[in-house]
Amino acid sequence: MRNPLAAASIPILDDLIESDYVRSLVVGTAGLLALLGAFGLAFPGSVAGDLAGIVFSTSTATSTARLAAPIVLAGLGGIFAEKSGVINIGLEGLLIISAFVSVYAASVVGIGNAVLGVPALAVGFLAGIAASTLLSALFAVVCIEFKADQIIAGLAVWLIALGLAPFMSTVFFGGVNTPNLGANVGWRYSTAMVIVATVGSWWLLNQTGFGKHLRAAGENPKALDTVGVSVSKVRYAGVLLSGVLSGVGGSALALSIGQFVGSGETMVQGKGFIAIVAYLFGNYNPLGTLGAGVLFAGLDATQIRLQQLGYAIPDTLVQTIPYVMVIVVLALVGRTQIPEAAGEHYETEE
Amino acid sequence: MNPAVHLDGITKRFPGVVANDDVDLAVERGSVHALLGENGAGKTTLMNVLYGLYRPTDGTVRLDGEPQSFDSPRDAIDAGVGMIHQHFMLVDPMTVWENVVLGNEPTTWGGLRVDREAAREAVVELSERYGFDVDPDATIADISVGEQQRVEILKALYRGADVLIMDEPTAVLTPQEVEELYGVFEELTDQGKTIIFISHKLGEALSAADEISVLRDGVNVGTVATSDVTREELAKMMVGREVLMDPATTPQEAGDRVLEVTDLSVDDDRGVEAVSDLSFELRAGEIMGVAGVDGNGQLQLVEAITGLRRPSSGDVRYRGEPMAGKTRRDRIDRGMAFIPEDRQERGLVMSYDLTENAILGSQHDPPFAERGRIDWRASRDHAESVIEQYDVRPPDADAEAESLSGGNQQKFIVGREFERDPDLVVATHPTRGVDIGSTEFLHDRLLDLRSQGKAVLLVSSKLDEVQGLSDRLAVMHEGEFTGVVDPATVTEEEIGLLMAGESLDDDSVEGAALHEAASEEVGGEETASEGAATEEVEGEKAGEGIDDTTAGDEGVDA
Repeated sequence: MRNPLAAASIPILDDLIESDYVRSLVVGTAGLLALLGAFGLAFPGSVAGDLAGIVFSTSTATSTARLAAPIVLAGLGGIFAEKSGVINIGLEGLLIISAFVSVYAASVVGIGNAVLGVPALAVGFLAGIAASTLLSALFAVVCIEFKADQIIAGLAVWLIALGLAPFMSTVFFGGVNTPNLGANVGWRYSTAMVIVATVGSWWLLNQTGFGKHLRAAGENPKALDTVGVSVSKVRYAGVLLSGVLSGVGGSALALSIGQFVGSGETMVQGKGFIAIVAYLFGNYNPLGTLGAGVLFAGLDATQIRLQQLGYAIPDTLVQTIPYVMVIVVLALVGRTQIPEAAGEHYETEE
Repeated sequence: MNPAVHLDGITKRFPGVVANDDVDLAVERGSVHALLGENGAGKTTLMNVLYGLYRPTDGTVRLDGEPQSFDSPRDAIDAGVGMIHQHFMLVDPMTVWENVVLGNEPTTWGGLRVDREAAREAVVELSERYGFDVDPDATIADISVGEQQRVEILKALYRGADVLIMDEPTAVLTPQEVEELYGVFEELTDQGKTIIFISHKLGEALSAADEISVLRDGVNVGTVATSDVTREELAKMMVGREVLMDPATTPQEAGDRVLEVTDLSVDDDRGVEAVSDLSFELRAGEIMGVAGVDGNGQLQLVEAITGLRRPSSGDVRYRGEPMAGKTRRDRIDRGMAFIPEDRQERGLVMSYDLTENAILGSQHDPPFAERGRIDWRASRDHAESVIEQYDVRPPDADAEAESLSGGNQQKFIVGREFERDPDLVVATHPTRGVDIGSTEFLHDRLLDLRSQGKAVLLVSSKLDEVQGLSDRLAVMHEGEFTGVVDPATVTEEEIGLLMAGESLDDDSVEGAALHEAASEEVGGEETASEGAATEEVEGEKAGEGIDDTTAGDEGVDA
């Protein structure tokens, strides 16, 4: 038996998660946390005690929730795109553009004001989603209609957003960072959105006809085409969904602080790429992606708290952990199933 | 009563080509109709018209007498026409029932949920009604090719097909699976379904169809009842001239050992053992056939012999010299020619012209290379000589390889490899996708090589080919030879059993063993028995008016 955790039987999990791999991931993470908690309780003064104190503190939990939202949401979006056969590595760009546009729109409306009864922060949210969806639509047209290389087009999406967002911020606000709105969206909203999106995505992928078509489009598009379902439409839907979900994630990230930070890699700081890692780690399963996203965000939040307590942990090193983990997982476990036709263009025979 | 399918004066023109020219075809309800023809005869185009993929330039498609106008396959599906493609259109990681209902999933909760129970039930009900033994919850990747084909048929039936079009349905099946498929045909026609299948195999059309229409150059040259026609007549209709049905093998003594394979094991790309502990030898002047369903290690065996893949253990010796560590180029230099399975992937550089392709593998050697430069004049002369001798069309050394049809590409590769003057030819599927006329030509060339004392390892999934040409026939299953038999005495059923991994009963195994023993000693007795077998073949040929005095003489001598 290669993976002893896969053997453990847990009734509710068994029903929800078909993949042994994702199941063992969930069980393993829960087990590690329990172990850490036990150590922390037993030796309160030690490093483990400090660590346990951080991991189980509410402030770490709330900052984890805030950091996890963009990772999980973009990751869910990435699943839809890639399952349909279009690898969207532009998730980072979608997060950046929606983060900026959401703050910009909210500031245009003005905190305290409303448009048609919709408060400014909600307007910001919607505008962020619209911007990200628009950019993903551009990506979809270039990839599906004009058959551009998906990796190159995805990189272009990232680079466009990385240049455009700070530039517009400079134009509108006179600096790459926008001023703070003075209001923000609480972590409870982010958490709720993440949970709803995860459950909804799971349902859409596993229970609906659309989910089956999505999978067929990514595995054997010809099979789908010959039964009379348009492969292009399914792929457009997959990519646009990745835009919508990333838009929610990017807006949630920026509005949870009330500001867009455009210096360096911008406030998104590679969360779009971590999102790709998260869904690969979660083996294209929304629940696995949620688990991986929370894990990575938790690591980041813990690292920040450890710094505050005076432990000299190099933050850049901690940020490489997700990437190292995914390489380890891909190499050792090798259970991730990349869709057969992902990255390939499809043309009907007429 | 109106025929179930009536193609009325169908003409389909493509720019510069008439693919179908005023074709009439009527198929009765509840019958099996074979559409026979060589490659490029217009069979597939005609069926694509019926299936709504192409609109006919002229003519009408009628179903039960009603004229139809299909804009897309979707319209054809709605009208009750189902197509089963040669390459199955199935999603491998999905289950049988998911594949069957794909695109037409029954839903509940206002479309928010696929109704698994209803879908499974529909699939179970259909497969019971037609006597298909398919597990609805099995994953496609885990089931056999024959079962996958039945899933394809279920897909069409689930969509309400009354007319089933099948493109080369037996191409990927073992003989047993072919028999099962004929059984499926019967079940379907008993329940009023109409079947049209495309084929270029005469035997298949004769054993499965009620009526046969033969297409040649886009024209229907005749529709005949299966009971009123012979193999030879059909072949003549297809090709337009008399065809030599069986290659003329003459008995011949095997010479020196050319290839010795000892305890060879080879892994495939995934690291799974594809060839297991295989030993055999091949002598000069001998053709050894390797039959088997594709994917049973033939590819890896051939790659290990030709130097394209490193064996995990065991030994390959060529003319007594160990080949371990010898590169592909070393082996070419020593006279080992190779006709690869995938001609577009490994046989040719598609964007090169024929001159460039003609010297592939010899580009380092005189007369084509001199002091590091290629002599294009010599290369071109060589290309032109290959083109002329092997009847490659169009006869243009400047044509790019991709502009040639598959059959002509194949003839060109075979020509190039044979002109190396090799001692060993490893030929994989040398006539795949090649029409009858060219197949006959290529078979003759292989036999020429044999009579010149060359050794040939012939891997093919065409049973009549390996059986007709080989001196010995090995059947491969899951990386092992399940039997090495005498092609002159073995039956197709026996080969089928071996292909399915079963061993033959004692008698035939003994026969094969005896034959092997006989070929070891290269004695007079063995030649006598082979001579007798050949005489029978000759007898048949005399009826067709073809005479081969040399072969006859040898038979008499023996």
